[in-house]
This record gives sequence, structure tokens and C-alpha cells, in this order.
Amino acid sequence: MTGPHTSKTIATVTNRGRTAVLAFVILFGAAGIVSVARWIDAHRQMPDKESVQEDLYLQGPTAKRLSIAFNGLAADWYWMRALQYVGRKALHFQDTHPGQLSLNDLGNLNLHVLPPLLRVSTNLDPQFMAPYEYGAMILPTFNNDEAIALLTYGIEQNPDQWQLYQHLGYVYWQRKDYQKSGELYATGGNLSGAPGWMSEMGARMLAEGGSVGAARQMYQHLYEESNDDQVKQLLLRRLLQVDSFEQRDVIRRVLSDYSARLHRCPASWRDVTAALRASRLPIDPNSSAPLDPGGTAYVLVKDGCDVDLDPRSQVPYR
Amino acid sequence: MNQRTVETSVSTKPYTHAPDIKIRTLWRIGTIAGNAFREAVRDRVLYNLVLFVLLLTAGAIFLGELSGGQEAKIIVDLGLSATLLFGVFIAIFVGVGLVHKEIERRTIYAILSKPIGRGEFLLGKYLGLCLTLLVNIFVMGAGVSLALLYVKRGWNPLVFSIWPAILLIYMELAILTAVALFFSSFSSPALSALLTFFIFIAGHFSADLKTFASSLGGTTARWFFTALYYLLPNFSNYSLITPAAHGQVPNLSMMILALLYAAIYASVVLAAGTLIFNRRNFK
Repeated sequence: MTGPHTSKTIATVTNRGRTAVLAFVILFGAAGIVSVARWIDAHRQMPDKESVQEDLYLQGPTAKRLSIAFNGLAADWYWMRALQYVGRKALHFQDTHPGQLSLNDLGNLNLHVLPPLLRVSTNLDPQFMAPYEYGAMILPTFNNDEAIALLTYGIEQNPDQWQLYQHLGYVYWQRKDYQKSGELYATGGNLSGAPGWMSEMGARMLAEGGSVGAARQMYQHLYEESNDDQVKQLLLRRLLQVDSFEQRDVIRRVLSDYSARLHRCPASWRDVTAALRASRLPIDPNSSAPLDPGGTAYVLVKDGCDVDLDPRSQVPYR
Repeated sequence: MNQRTVETSVSTKPYTHAPDIKIRTLWRIGTIAGNAFREAVRDRVLYNLVLFVLLLTAGAIFLGELSGGQEAKIIVDLGLSATLLFGVFIAIFVGVGLVHKEIERRTIYAILSKPIGRGEFLLGKYLGLCLTLLVNIFVMGAGVSLALLYVKRGWNPLVFSIWPAILLIYMELAILTAVALFFSSFSSPALSALLTFFIFIAGHFSADLKTFASSLGGTTARWFFTALYYLLPNFSNYSLITPAAHGQVPNLSMMILALLYAAIYASVVLAAGTLIFNRRNFK
């Protein structure tokens, strides 16, 4: 006998059963997805990261056209991609060559996609200054021409931005083209809003472009103007290097005086500690060795006749 | 007296007492606009703001790690681009449904049987959606400003300088809404959405049409592309997101001209839409 009450009960039970079956499918299905995905991840042959083709398919002008009104966002995307690209390459290099990565010489990283990434980013947003600055600091470590092309494009697009003249002047200075570097600093210094030291740098480059003092002044200004922590780190190490060049000149003078007096080179740092102290160099209390600007002791080389950086030093070698 | 009776008595009061015909017309348009706004809110159109807030929050938190010190620029680019994109989707998908829904539900018979002109109906719907977009864009703009305050841990001039660009985005959306209503006055929602989206894309390339036209040798082709340039809305006048991210503010005369262009273009498109809608047979 089936009354309305019984039918309702049957319908309720059927609904509950259906809900239970669906819940079962969702729960076990989700668990199944995770299991299968993990199994695939574990058994898939991963392609060698280095062998993967990394070229960019889009040129800057095409990317700009396709981005419609979102060119600024697309430029940001390429910029962040450039940062990730360098970071990924650096990590991979550190994994495969422990302790051999130098931020001042990135030629080993094979960063061949970095120039087009920065180029596309600046094509999409020519007023975006960060890629120009980053390019000026990173590209010369493996490709000067790309750095010059990027910054020349930047100056064409933003002729009133004195910072771009500063960066391009820095690139030419690295090429030891002090004439061109001085001209660029002078041109940038004439722009409205440019600080007075730009013109000073221009004159100094022309007069003593290769001097340590000119290098320090240039790195100091680049450091003060930069907003990028990575670039600041790079410049800080360059400033340490300049300080170290000066310290090594002082130490060489001390060593030279010692050998002139005793007709032999010192056997250890203890032989010249007093002279080093007199030259106001920081000294390691244990070994009596002078300390480099990064706090690592210098080492005596060439049978005590010359000084060099410790391989563990934070100061860039080149 | 039940609720329905109260609403009716309130809404008909101006018809009976307002002496000026213009005021009565404005009242009717305002009523339709208010209803269109309420309908959009009821349809949870403003829920997109939740997604927008999530996007900005995630951006503000993670960009510090990824952007190399460019958080403020990227927040502005991301925020204003999302504002434009979300606005475009609302203008298109809500815009094309405004008239169609009334026809589908047959409520248009009840509306047009009252002393409401078809032009008033279309203009009311348009203004209602413009109001929805205004609320949407204002909240999004405020969200971008707050995100800027968060990422810079304090005051940043971009907090104020982005607002002219936000206003220009709104003008672009106002034009696009008029285009969506124009297409929906004679076409199906799917086709209207497709055509409006096409106009949005083409509008961003319309400046290129002028250059292309001037480079052509043949007179007919030159005339054709020049005409097309003037026919399509020139959205490049409203794309100032990237300069805004660099703290650049458009000058006042440019803003006024852009506003004038948007007002005239939207009026022309709505007039054309009304012309077609007036001839449409709902039987």
C-alpha cells in the first residue's frame, strides 16, 4: 500500500542517495585527480631547462599593437619576466657551478633572452625607466652593444630624462670610451632638472676618465639615484671594489717600502703590521692581515711581494 | 494600501502635478534609469568588485617580491587595466541585455503602454547603466588609491594623479555602453555583444586608420578609411593608463575635449538607436 506519505519518504531517500553518490564522486574524484597528477609528475621526462627554446615570438611594436589599451600592463609583465629570467638563470648556474656566480660578470649565465625582454618592455612603455636602468647595469657584463642600443632608444623616446644620459655615459665609461662618456654626462647635465654633478662628471670624465676617483663618484651617484634593490646591491659591490683598489695601492706601497729597506719581501703580514696601521688600514687582530672593505683579510701573493683579494671575499674580482 | 499601490502613487505624482513637460520627461527618464541601476545591483553586477579587490590585494602583497621596486607603477597599470576590462564586460554584457530582457519578459508592453517614449526608455536604460558603471569605477579607483597607499607605506602623489585617467576610462565606457544599446536596439544579445566588442577593439585602432588612409594612393580608398576613422569611436584619446602610471596628468583642455567627444558620440549613437527602436515592431 503506497500512500502520499510513503511516496514522499521514497523521494527523500532517493534524494539523499543521489546526494551521497554525488558527494562520493566529488570526494574520490578530487583525490583521484591529485593521485594521477602526482603520478604523472613523478614519471614524466622533464625537458632539460637549458635546451628549451627560450626565444621571444613577439617583437616590441607587434606586442604594443596587440596589447590595445593595456600596453603599460604588458610592459610590466615583460619587465617582471626579465627579472624572473635572470633570477632563474642565476639559481640554475649556482646549482650547477656552486660558488662560481659573480654578479659583476653574468656572461656565464647565457642571458640571450634578456635584451629582447627589456626591448619589448620599453617598446610597450617607452617611459618605463626601470628596464633602462637594469639594462645599463646588467647588459654590459655580457653585451655592451645591446646596452647602448637600449639606452639610445630610451634617449630617443625620453630626450628630457637626464638619468638615461647618466646610464649611457656609464656604459661608455665601461668601454673605456671616456670622451663619449664625458660628452653624454655633459649633455645630460644641461637638461632641466639635472643635478649639478652631471656636468662635473662630464668634465671629470674628459680629464681623468680612468681614475679611481671618477669611478667612485660615478658609482656613488648611480647608487643614490637607483630605486632598484638589486641594482643598488650591484653598485655597492662596485663601490667596495673601488675602495679595495685604493687599499691595495696603499698596501703595495707598504710592501714596496719594506722590500726596498730589507731587500726581501715580507714573510707574513706581521712584518708590516705597524706600517699598515700607520696607513690607517683596518687590521685583523688574529692574523694581522689588512681587511678588505667587505671585512675579509687580504692575502699575500708572489712570495709576499704583492697583495690580492681572498677568493672568499665579497669584493668583485673584476 | 499595499506596497504596489504606494509605489504607483509615488511614481505617478509628477505626471499629474508637474507643470513643465521637460521636467516630466526628465522624471520619467530618471525613473527608468533608477530602475535599471537597481536591476543591475539586483543582478549582482557589482559582485565583480569582490574579484577586483582580491586581484589588487594579491597584487599589492606579491608585487613587492616580483617587480624590482616598481610596485606603484604596476599597481596603477594593473588596477586601471582591470577597471577598464571589468567596465568593458559590464558595458557589453549588461548593456546588450537591458532592452532584450524587457522584450523577452514582455514587460516592455507594460512600460511603453504608459506615457513613456521609446527614446526616453532607451536613454533611461543608458543612464542607469552609466550610473552602475560610475559606482563601479569609483569604488575601483578608490581601491587602486588604497592599494597605492599600502604598497608605498604612506603618501604617494599617484593616489590623486590617477583620477583623471579613471575619468577618461569612464568616458570610454559611456561611449561603449551607448554602442551596446545601439546594437541591442535591433539585434540579438549575442550578436550585439560581439559587435560591441569588435567596436571596442577597432576603436583602439581607429587612429591608425587615419594614418593608413593618408598613406593610400586611391581617392576612394582614402575617403573610405577616413570615413571609417570618423565613424568609429577613437578610444586612443581615452587610453591614458600608461602615462597615469608615470604620474602624468592630461591637461584640462584635453579632458574637456574628450568629454565633449564622448557626449556627442554617445548622443549620436543613442539617437540612431532610438530611430531604429522607434520602428521596431514587438508583436
